[in-house]
Amino acid sequence: MSEVASAVASEVKETFHVVGKSVPRRDGIGHVTGKTVYVDDISFPGMLHLKMVRSPIHHGIIRNVDFSEAEKVPGFVRVLTHRDVPKNLYTILCLIGVGPDEEPVLAVDRVLYKGEPIAAIVAETEEAAMEAVSRVRLDLEELPAVFDVEEALKPDAPILKPWGTNYFIYEGHPCRRVRFGDVEKGFAQADYIIEEVYNTSPIEHAPTETTACVAKPEPDGRYTVYTNTQALFFTMDNTALILQVPFSKLHFVGGTVGGGFGGKVDVIVEPIATLAAMKTGRPVKFKYTREEEMRVSSTRSAWRMYFKDGVMKDGRIIARKVISYADSGAYNRHTPYVITKHAANVAGPYFIPNVYIDVYCVYTNRQPASAMRGFGVTPASFAVECQMDKIAETIGMDPWEIRFINAYRNGDMRPHQKVVEDATLIEVMKAAAELAGHPLPEHLLKMHSWDRERA
Amino acid sequence: MAVQEYFLPQSLEQALDLLAEHAPALLVMAGGTIAMPLINEGISMPEKVMGLRRAGLDTVRRENSTLVVGATTTLTQLAHQTDIPMLQEAVRHIGGWQIRNMGTVGGNLFAPPPAGDLAVALLALDATVVLASKQRGQRALPLTEFFTGFMATALAPDELVTALHIPLPRGKMSYIKYGRRHANTPAIVTVAAHVVVEAGKVVDAHLALNAVGPHPIRARRAEQVLRGAPLNAATIAEAAREAAAECEPFTDAIATDWYRRRMTEVFVRRALERIMG
Amino acid sequence: MASRIVTFNLNGRDVEVMVKPLTTLQTVLREHLRLTATKSGCRQGGCGSCTVLVNGEPVLSCLLPVEDVAGQTVVTLEGITPVEGLHPIQQAFFDNYAIQCGYCSPGMIMVIKALLDRNPNPTRQEVMDAIAGNVCRCTGYESILRAAEDAARRLQTV
Repeated sequence: MSEVASAVASEVKETFHVVGKSVPRRDGIGHVTGKTVYVDDISFPGMLHLKMVRSPIHHGIIRNVDFSEAEKVPGFVRVLTHRDVPKNLYTILCLIGVGPDEEPVLAVDRVLYKGEPIAAIVAETEEAAMEAVSRVRLDLEELPAVFDVEEALKPDAPILKPWGTNYFIYEGHPCRRVRFGDVEKGFAQADYIIEEVYNTSPIEHAPTETTACVAKPEPDGRYTVYTNTQALFFTMDNTALILQVPFSKLHFVGGTVGGGFGGKVDVIVEPIATLAAMKTGRPVKFKYTREEEMRVSSTRSAWRMYFKDGVMKDGRIIARKVISYADSGAYNRHTPYVITKHAANVAGPYFIPNVYIDVYCVYTNRQPASAMRGFGVTPASFAVECQMDKIAETIGMDPWEIRFINAYRNGDMRPHQKVVEDATLIEVMKAAAELAGHPLPEHLLKMHSWDRERA
Repeated sequence: MAVQEYFLPQSLEQALDLLAEHAPALLVMAGGTIAMPLINEGISMPEKVMGLRRAGLDTVRRENSTLVVGATTTLTQLAHQTDIPMLQEAVRHIGGWQIRNMGTVGGNLFAPPPAGDLAVALLALDATVVLASKQRGQRALPLTEFFTGFMATALAPDELVTALHIPLPRGKMSYIKYGRRHANTPAIVTVAAHVVVEAGKVVDAHLALNAVGPHPIRARRAEQVLRGAPLNAATIAEAAREAAAECEPFTDAIATDWYRRRMTEVFVRRALERIMG
Repeated sequence: MASRIVTFNLNGRDVEVMVKPLTTLQTVLREHLRLTATKSGCRQGGCGSCTVLVNGEPVLSCLLPVEDVAGQTVVTLEGITPVEGLHPIQQAFFDNYAIQCGYCSPGMIMVIKALLDRNPNPTRQEVMDAIAGNVCRCTGYESILRAAEDAARRLQTV
């Protein structure tokens, strides 16, 4: 064990009560007996069920929606359309100042992705709701769709957003930008220029428990919403804004989530179920089927990342230029924030004196992308570490050494103007090498995160 | 309309009567592993459904050199017979334990590719399918003639699959299902081979493929290459190339058509190499 | 759409339910009888979270019309949970942290119960084969395998 690791281990052993010890899970008994109450286990007398009428096409204009046959289904209670939603346009991140609002709770006159909700049907049973949905007649005019980030940015691409571009606008710019040093000067000085493009696919979180909530009117005029959201107050606040009611009207109960991984931070089922409870005066359950969870719920965005690095013969990376595109799908959800995290991390945990980063949040006709473990950092790490190996291979250096040389140290300035204060990369790499049984040469073992620290 | 009637006949006779009365509006299922997911999701909304779990079609018996398997024999039940090890091997690769406890031999004939991991073995074994209707009685059809297209079979609307007759194999068998995971996985390609070698030459060869066509298929041209030839590396390589050329792979969430074709060559070769020993 | 009365033995007691045609065992357990340990993860036979034992065999209650189990014996997680304390398999899951979100746990425990009833001392491969139809998305498979092995030891020393 390395000296740092053993020092930490002995301190943990002596002074900590929880860290380093196994603590029985508080919710474990409920889980192994099946007594834990998940949202779908909740039901109330008179509870109604909500199902969505969804777009069967990727992009189109809604000419007409005919509910007359659906209304005849036994058990049909009512339909909700965009006209019923007090503030139909929203964007989840409005709570942290992101705008403008751009996603309709229920589509108005256009659909931008296959599966986009057009109307909600509330019925006495889930089967009746499903059947009524199947009887709704949609008259849609199909429009050309775009599924690739770079295609979406071409001049002849179908424009999806009312502001006239297929990208999110960051303070007047088409992308989130990071500028540090002079990247062109760096390339001019470099011994090697190393370029590559990295792609990642969208990933569905696929939690075992699908997204669900139950909204229940209370005698005091409030609404209790039982939900498996991962973001309870975020969801409550957005619901209040969409429904134009004071936050105090809503009581959100959550905390038990049957798997989330970031897939349950969107505000999707709660506003419409609560609205249905308001309009009917009865408890309403809205639970995604597995098909909806896979096809409609948001995914990790697909990424395309172009890297250009200037590298010296001694292994130092002196310039890095990255142009990244995230496929946000049809709407924002959390992607504008995902982009920012990506921009802050795509230079990697390495000190590079000249950095130029442009990250685009691009709209396409895919199902919306959103948060997933690590936000935009995971694809960034994938690309950065592939690139580090490519650099090592190109200049003929050991892949460990290239990382030790470039790893940032305490006191280094990161490209987005944050001073590194708590670097541990070198120590972690030493511990990892030890665990993997990979002997490191003496000159690397002598390195520390504090060996460049400024006084 | 929600489901109005669920029939659970207690005999084949009852089942055929119900089918004669209600076909074609009657959805027939056995284990429910294909029909019920569609009904639960609202993709299929039948008014009338018939379940065959109680119809007494779940027996397995030997008749001379033929294994007679009732259509609603579960995959787990089939795994208990030991006459044809390839069937045990095929069953082992289908779904998880629960699916094998529910899914049936007859039902697997209706599982669209890339499912149908048992049907491909039955095809290699040259099985015969027995069909019955109230009006016309029984008829037997080689399994090769049973499949007519993607999710299409020779089954008439008033007919049920009642049994499969599987001749005990004379030669050596090999079954390989290649998927993205080791278990409970859709196939990229499945290969089932039954080859008879006498005096150093292949006298009969049945090579069946799944997940590379609209239904489980026989690789006829590859079989032609094998017949009459010595089973050696050169023959096997040529047969594998032929199989890859003649199959009709498709692209889905599991694999591309290009990859399926490449893997068909690889896994036909491996299946035949196992037989060569 | 005539409803029918179906009788079966559930967790040692005979129960009688009145159901519409093609009602699944899962719906009967969860919505009619309010026994919600049996989960509803996909209703497509893909996740295993609704696994119960019918005549001792693990099956997916989401794909099983309740009329098909008339007169038969059904055991759910509620049926193996003692009044006080835990079943050895439950205890092994708890002690080995074979639970995270808990949504797959009821199905996992029922399958492992069926396995250990047949094979008291399974190999790791046999446990893996048994739970192949049960999806855990928090990826606690390793701890679930450990729990199954631990449960086998506990049951042998009971």
